[in-house]
Parts: sequence; C-alpha cells; structure tokens
Amino acid sequence: MAGAKTASAGLSPVDGSVQLNPVWFEFEDGFFWLNSNTGRLWPKNLQRDRELTMLLVDPKTPDRYAQIKGRLVSLIPDPTAEFIGRLAHRYTGKPFRELEPGEHRVTFKIQPVSVTGQMI
Amino acid sequence: MPLQLSPKMQAFTQEVFPAIIGTNRKDGSVEIVPVWFEQKDGSFWINGGTNRGWFKHLERDPRITLLLIDPKEMFRWAQVEGRMVNWAEDAGGDHINELSHRYLKKDYQGPRTGRIKIQIEPLRVTGAIDGRR
Repeated sequence: MAGAKTASAGLSPVDGSVQLNPVWFEFEDGFFWLNSNTGRLWPKNLQRDRELTMLLVDPKTPDRYAQIKGRLVSLIPDPTAEFIGRLAHRYTGKPFRELEPGEHRVTFKIQPVSVTGQMI
Repeated sequence: MPLQLSPKMQAFTQEVFPAIIGTNRKDGSVEIVPVWFEQKDGSFWINGGTNRGWFKHLERDPRITLLLIDPKEMFRWAQVEGRMVNWAEDAGGDHINELSHRYLKKDYQGPRTGRIKIQIEPLRVTGAIDGRR
C-alpha cells in the first residue's frame, strides 16, 4: 500500500447521498494521511462523521483494488503547507501550488479499520 | 428529471476506464468498488449480479455516485450523482459482452448467465471536466 501511488477516492456521505472525491494520500506508520483545504465539502463531512471509505485502484490493472474503511484519529493543521507539499511531490514530482489567500490546509490521520478487495 | 450531459461530459464518458461507484450501506457507510460502465443516450449502464453487495444497496436506496477519473491524468475527473432507474436480466450476457469489447476488445471470458444490467440516470455532475466543483 505504501507503494501504491494511485489517486484514491475518499468519501463521505452528505445527507445520505454519496460523495466521491479523488484524494492524494500517503500510507505511513500504519495510518493513511490525507490533506485538504478546510473550505471543501469532503473534509467537513469527514470531521462530522469521523469515518470514511477509500478505494485504491491500480491504474494499470483496475482489477487490483482495495476498499478501506477508516476512522479519523486526528486532525493536524498544516499552516506552512509542508505536508501537502510532500504529497504534491509524491504525485506530481513538483512543489504544491501557492496557497490561495485565506486557504487553510489540514492533515487527516486515518486509521484503517477494515480492508476488502481484490489485491489482498 | 435526468440531467443532460454537457458535450465535454459526453466525450469524457466515451473514454475507456472503469467507473468507481459508491452506494449506501444500511449502516450509513459507503461501499466503493470499480466497475465497467458505458454511457448511452444520456444514461449510465453497469453490469453485475443480484448477489452483489452494491446491487442490494441499490434495491434499498437507488442513489448511486460514479466517480470517473482518467487513470493517466488524475486531474481529469467527474463525479456523477445519479440513481438507478431500471435493471433487467442481461439475457445471454449480451451487455457484459459489449462492455468486454469496450474494455478488453474481446469477447467476455466469464460466465454469461445470472447477470443483470443496471440503468443509472445522472442527476448532478461536479468535478474538473465540467469546470465546476
């Protein structure tokens, strides 16, 4: 999983509807680490529900996938955009864009609770 | 009322990659799996079996969301929120075979019996393809 370098779909339901978003992640020390702008919808839902489902798909072999249910363990402010910068390097090989005025980044520490799928 | 897809979305949905579908479990969590899909005449069509977890969820709650991401360019993506409006037996496996040709350019190798095709009507599109978030 640490090697999986695929955009995964993070998710939180809103009013019972299903919201799917691509997210960047890192898997380290047994946890998933995500990062977002606090103004977006999915981090708000995640903070409310404290749980989410993620799907990791191998882009070259879509039959290889894992569905992970996770629980939000903690929320870590990323004021200097250090962690999102690291994710940007992992995914794009480049630094992250300049933060927009008033943009606040936050890192989510997610504990995997269950894993299902075709690659386990 | 079903949403009419924009020309950009019409084109995007003809590209070949799996859709990531999300359905509501009874406990309020969400099931996410990749599936083959096609978009025809404004509806999305997927294929499965009545024993699939996600289909059981749809029978209870027809709301379904498809996340489409270009595997080569992750910034090209669209979220389609919709609902199952119809499902029917995939007699003879014609539909799964059609999907197999779309994805693998060959006849479907798996069992062709006991399959169903599911019609999904799009209600809302967000994401990068339509320039909306």
